[in-house]
Amino acid sequence: MNHTAKSLTLGFSLAGLLSSCATVAPNELVDARNAYSASSNGLASQLTPTDLHAAKTVLDQANTEFERNGDSLAVRDTAYVALRKIELADVKARTEADHRAIAEAVKQGVVVRDNQVKYSQAALAETREALRGERSTNAAQGAELQRTASQLASESEARQMTQTRLDAAMKDLHTIASVRDEARGVVITLSGSVIFASGGYTLLETAKAKLDQVAEALKDQSEEKRMTVEGHTDSMGSEASNQRLGQNRANAVRDYLVSRGVDGTKLIAVGMGATRPILDNSNAENRANNRRVEIVIRPAPLTER
Amino acid sequence: MNNKTVMTLVFLAVSGCAAIQIPPDRLEGNEASMRGAEELGASGVPAAKLHLQLAREQTISAKKLAADGDDRAVMMLARAQSDAELSLGLAREVSVHADAQRAADELKAVRARGTP
Repeated sequence: MNHTAKSLTLGFSLAGLLSSCATVAPNELVDARNAYSASSNGLASQLTPTDLHAAKTVLDQANTEFERNGDSLAVRDTAYVALRKIELADVKARTEADHRAIAEAVKQGVVVRDNQVKYSQAALAETREALRGERSTNAAQGAELQRTASQLASESEARQMTQTRLDAAMKDLHTIASVRDEARGVVITLSGSVIFASGGYTLLETAKAKLDQVAEALKDQSEEKRMTVEGHTDSMGSEASNQRLGQNRANAVRDYLVSRGVDGTKLIAVGMGATRPILDNSNAENRANNRRVEIVIRPAPLTER
Repeated sequence: MNNKTVMTLVFLAVSGCAAIQIPPDRLEGNEASMRGAEELGASGVPAAKLHLQLAREQTISAKKLAADGDDRAVMMLARAQSDAELSLGLAREVSVHADAQRAADELKAVRARGTP
């Protein structure tokens, strides 16, 4: 083969080689095409279609440039930008998905809290209703208690007034009788010579005024008190006669007190005779002191209350 | 137009080169995207950090090409801008994803308190 033929052959070979290279897309373009293919079937196509479309536009520019002029810096630069835009569309799609998830979570949270509030409100309404019922009951009970309290107050007031009268009456008694607190109770002692004529058991008229005061004091004694009128004598005379005189005197005082309003069911008369002297009977004065009537006020036995 | 761009153009004029003028708004947009990515913490997100670095390098390269009168400067800036926007998007994605996780956790907690 001559020199000219060899040169022509070499030239055509080179042209063929160059033309085949021009059809091989650069890596940037291949990567961009593949990325778009994946993204167009993914999240970006649903959530960020505008961004994906913008990326496609740039990719088309790269493809067109490549088809016209083959591989070049312009094709590579344009494909590079297209690839970044496709990647950005994917990133924005994922971000949008997160935004929607946040919105849904907030919405669900509102629903859950709403339900919780509704439940709480229902429970609160039930509690209020129950309280209303309790309040009605309490109001009724309160009214009853109020009535009872008023009643008690009235009774207390009455007792107070009675006690005041009693205290006043007992105080007055001190002027006409001896009043002592003993183990057996309160003992009102009236001298026998003040109440009765000597040896007898008829009340002296002058004694009646004193006994009226005693009656006043005894009338206000509480229900829980019991009273005993004891007739005491000195030791002169027989035991039997002293016993009889003591009993008669006790009866006389008791009957008079009952006639002046003292509760007869709570007042008994007992003849003591000379069995309980307060002084020895060795002289007249002592014997005079022994001749007495004692009215004992004691608490009622538990069985009688 | 920022001071850097002005100085570049003045230099080019004085030096007698036929410099390419990069549209100032595109340069400013590029700078804003890179700043945004930094503020959103791109340096703490590996992928975002990589693309931010690429954006910075390509911006420098674009300015040099422009100074040399190489019309590839505009495309280089476009590459830089695409990397800056991607960096910003990646940084934002991490932040929003964290918010989504917190929201999911809070919903779980609310549900756990229960509606008897």
